[in-house]
Amino acid sequence: MNINEKSGATTSPGAREYLTFRLGKEEYGIDILKVQEIRGYEPPTRIAHSPEFIKGVVNLRGTIVPIVDMRIRFNCETANYDAFTVVIILSLRDRVVGIVVDSVSDVMEIAPENIQAAPDIESSIDSGCIFGLGSVNERMLILLDIEKLMSNADMGLATAE
Amino acid sequence: MAEMHAEGGADFDLSQFYQIFFEEAGENLDQMEQILLDLSLENADDEELNGIFRCAHSIKGGAATFGFADVAELTHHMESLLDKLRRHELTPVPEMVDVLLESADASRSLLARHQAGEQGEAPSTADLVRRISELASGRVPEAPAERPEPKPPAAAAPAVQTPPVASEPAPAAASGERELMVRVGPLEDLSSADVIKELFRDIPGLGTIADAASEDASCRNFQVTTSASNDDLLDLFAFHVAKEQVRISVLAGGDIAAASDTTEEVPYGFFPDAPGSPGAAAPTRAAQAAAAESPTPAAHKATPAKAADAKGGAQAHVESTTIRVAVNKVDQLINLVGELVITQAMLAQNSRDLDTAVYQQLLAGLADLDRNTRDLQESVMSIRMIPMSIVFSRFPRMLRDLANKLGKKVDLVTLGEATELDKGLVEKITDPLTHLVRNSGDHGIEMPAERLAKGKPEHGTITLSASHQGGSIVIEVKDDGRGLSREKILRKARERGMDVSDQMPDADVWQLIFAPGFSTADVVTDVSGRGVGLDVVKKNIAALNGSVEVDSSEGYGMRVAVRLPLTLAIMDGMSVGVGDEVYILPLSSVVESFQVNNDDVNTVAQGSRLVKVRDEYMPVIAMEKIFQIPRDSSEKSSNIMVVVESDGSRIALLVDELLGQHQVVVKNLESNYRKVPNVSGATILGDGKVALILDTSSMVRRARH
Repeated sequence: MNINEKSGATTSPGAREYLTFRLGKEEYGIDILKVQEIRGYEPPTRIAHSPEFIKGVVNLRGTIVPIVDMRIRFNCETANYDAFTVVIILSLRDRVVGIVVDSVSDVMEIAPENIQAAPDIESSIDSGCIFGLGSVNERMLILLDIEKLMSNADMGLATAE
Repeated sequence: MAEMHAEGGADFDLSQFYQIFFEEAGENLDQMEQILLDLSLENADDEELNGIFRCAHSIKGGAATFGFADVAELTHHMESLLDKLRRHELTPVPEMVDVLLESADASRSLLARHQAGEQGEAPSTADLVRRISELASGRVPEAPAERPEPKPPAAAAPAVQTPPVASEPAPAAASGERELMVRVGPLEDLSSADVIKELFRDIPGLGTIADAASEDASCRNFQVTTSASNDDLLDLFAFHVAKEQVRISVLAGGDIAAASDTTEEVPYGFFPDAPGSPGAAAPTRAAQAAAAESPTPAAHKATPAKAADAKGGAQAHVESTTIRVAVNKVDQLINLVGELVITQAMLAQNSRDLDTAVYQQLLAGLADLDRNTRDLQESVMSIRMIPMSIVFSRFPRMLRDLANKLGKKVDLVTLGEATELDKGLVEKITDPLTHLVRNSGDHGIEMPAERLAKGKPEHGTITLSASHQGGSIVIEVKDDGRGLSREKILRKARERGMDVSDQMPDADVWQLIFAPGFSTADVVTDVSGRGVGLDVVKKNIAALNGSVEVDSSEGYGMRVAVRLPLTLAIMDGMSVGVGDEVYILPLSSVVESFQVNNDDVNTVAQGSRLVKVRDEYMPVIAMEKIFQIPRDSSEKSSNIMVVVESDGSRIALLVDELLGQHQVVVKNLESNYRKVPNVSGATILGDGKVALILDTSSMVRRARH
């Protein structure tokens, strides 16, 4: 992992850092400031009557944290749990949530001019949760508004009852 | 307050709490000053006004409890003014801020004097009190220097200046009778407003009340003629309706109207910083100067009082033996220790198979770690524990006021003040307890004449006691008043269409008074009121995993026992296994468990299953079903029943195995996730995994209804 490979080199005003991760063949980026830590996957405690993508809850140093499998949420073909499966612990505005991804690849700095608005696309998630497409060295990064995605009602994280 | 204890015969030394009071009062004064200074007069924020009011109120309460009458009197006047401000009966003016700040200074020096052991001369507060009461009645007082008499009778003197037109209602005010319009509402249930009328009928000398037209269907208006003050009326009404829902206005130009007439006629005055202003401010400044150890010109007026102040200030620094810490810091500490305990348990588990001969030192070290973590956990938990006396201390005063108001004679006896309870619980138990004590005083204890006629001592006794019993704390409120009347409760219950029979055991009958809406206030006066809000009391206590027991004997009194767990953070749990999963049952709700025979389980309409346990049929809840627990092997199945009780109803839970009993640290599931049906929280097991704690009361409710 070439963490911070670009830092210092292309610093332009307004550039922000994104943590990028893979889900299947797609590459996503989220605001690094929302990331609390990255850990290995450990089997969570299942919770009855929860959506399929909520794997359950784990103990994070005394705090009970729900685990969302992004691969199931984003309809990936496979969702294996092995030694390389990674959980990104997000520290959102009102809660701490873990998301399961295939792998974490990089922290990248992307200047605003390299981000295009996302075209209206048909997808399994609310397109409002994608705030742009970043292009870095011919790679396309799907930039997620993770705060918005996680607080979406169909995530079932907030009290729906 | 002091005499209450003497009468009650309780041997209780308040002086041990002085230091806490002085510290708290100091903080409250600091806070009040801060808010006052930030207060914008044009659009004063309700929250700020309430904040100042709370500060003054806390100091007043404490001062009255500890018998510092001068502080209590001053803060009481401040409180009256602030109360009017927060009810928007008055608009804040700069003079009020000035006088309140000065009063805060005066309170500080009065407190310092008490702290120094009553040495020296008390600064006079009469002038401050006068100015506060004038401001409170809507006038802007003259500067003290311009006023010839040092202690004018607060109300009478300005009345002289009242123009003839406005003086018309004055005779009525002088005789004490006032014509008031009382507006109650908006309320969902207007019957509680009507109960107010009964107050006037029941309490001799309170005055008269008549219905008045109301333009709003959710409100009631009453025309009241009374000599009682607004505050007294509000306190009385508070038994039936919230204070915020009562508006009292004066009819036919009472004293408030008169006061507003005079407002323009009195010139604005400026106070204080002039040397002519009496006492209060100067010594404080001197004290502050002395504390800063830099002599200022003010110091040349040195008097014994100031010396004592300075000494008090210095002592406070030396004697400060407690620190106030944010609760979340303590909670974080408790969490960390919980983690440590889990880690320690893991180590202990992993080292179990080691050869004791080879690893002797390691194992000895682990044994020490075990003991140390336990001690550490205990000490950390004890940080959150505070003595019950903090709760009890508010009652003598409250009961005394109530007794005076109702014309009753009541002694309060408190027992077991040293019993410790979790701080979170103390905060939540205070309101229900206040309600119970008030109920006892209001409805339990009879009028003195009635008591004498029954051959009882003239003074009624209310006993408050707290004690540890096993893993719980029991708080009792006992009175020697009328007691509950079985017949009347049963009759009332039948009127309400509740399912009761004459054969019901007493305990069940007494529980009826906790039924929602079982307000007996509109019934037979003998039991009147025993029921107002009691359902809320019971609900609040049940929410703390506690229970309420009632015991009564008609004519001899009644006893309400509240049983609570020692802390909310730790619970005795029983872990059960279903499939590969582990769930925790609160041990307090587990009645029994047994291996089930197929013959004992019957079905109803091919669906719901019932099991017969000792001649009682109860619904069977298969954990596997309601928690959708996956099964790997089809051979294994649940064949153990755990009988769980809540609110007097029982259900049988079908589980695979019983794993054991242990104390679990209760964690909130909702802080990061959300409410899960049938689950009240989560905990962390010895191996670091999360286990869900079952919400037995909601499971029972669901199964039974």
